[in-house]
Amino acid sequence: MPFGNIFKELLTLLGVSIATALVINFFSPAGIAVFGNWDTTAGVVSAKPKGYQDTVSAEINDVESAKAIFDQGGAVFIDARSEASFLQGHVADAVSLPVGQFFEKIQMLLNRYEPSTTMVTYCSGRTCDDSHKLARLLTDVGYLNVRIFIDGYPAWVESGYPSE
Amino acid sequence: MNETVGKLIDSPWTELAARWVLGAIFLFAAFHKIMAPEIFAKAIYSYGLFPENSINLIAIILPLLELFSGLSLVFGLYYRGGIAILCGLLSIFIAALSTNLIRGHQFDCGCFSAGGPNSGSDVVNLLIRDILFLIAGWYLLVFKGHRRCCIQKKI
Repeated sequence: MPFGNIFKELLTLLGVSIATALVINFFSPAGIAVFGNWDTTAGVVSAKPKGYQDTVSAEINDVESAKAIFDQGGAVFIDARSEASFLQGHVADAVSLPVGQFFEKIQMLLNRYEPSTTMVTYCSGRTCDDSHKLARLLTDVGYLNVRIFIDGYPAWVESGYPSE
Repeated sequence: MNETVGKLIDSPWTELAARWVLGAIFLFAAFHKIMAPEIFAKAIYSYGLFPENSINLIAIILPLLELFSGLSLVFGLYYRGGIAILCGLLSIFIAALSTNLIRGHQFDCGCFSAGGPNSGSDVVNLLIRDILFLIAGWYLLVFKGHRRCCIQKKI
């Protein structure tokens, strides 16, 4: 078979793949934005879900502001990391709610905390967007004041703030 | 012995088995990526090799490229184009894995759902797997004998 024919087949497959990919991404509930945020200086890296709503206003961008909320009291820090990571160390008095076990454990949280309670989610820093996923889920079940501490547990420990 | 190996390599049944297995592997790989493009995008990011603006587009398009190339191999339609695409993709995967192995790049996002391969042994295993797939791809590309179960007649 001449190379020209192989090239034509290749271009046909490429064209069909690109067109189908864009259509599927447009209609799929799991679709992502065409451009994500992959720059840690601009915030948490993530592909961003399609129809992304800006959550920047809910983000706590520096560790001092997170500490100020912690010191005021009344806010509940929610750890989105795995249970094993939580057991190794977490923000003092934080509650473990791994994002993958959200629906198994959310009832316990709903029983304990009013919808008006300030919830501060965190995970492992700006390369981890589990805290954002958890914040979306908490908002979906009715919590009204959900904040995201984007620098997460590593920055908290590094600053020497209370952990256990 | 050499004659037996030669006969096996030239056999249409060997070609069919290699084409179906490689096609099925890529169909399987594509399915998971299409279902969870967000996780796949993070895995691409974890390689630390691709421009930021290209990561989501790769995560959206590459799985469909794998899907249609896999289908082309299984059904024997536009299969040479499909094989050429898979060989190209495998060469890129091998280059990306080797680069990170050489520069000792490891990435752990600390996420609940893991991103790309993290430990050195994972990378070596993936590298060996992709090299074997690439050898199978080249075999399919240069195969001169009769191809069984192809929708497309030989041109």
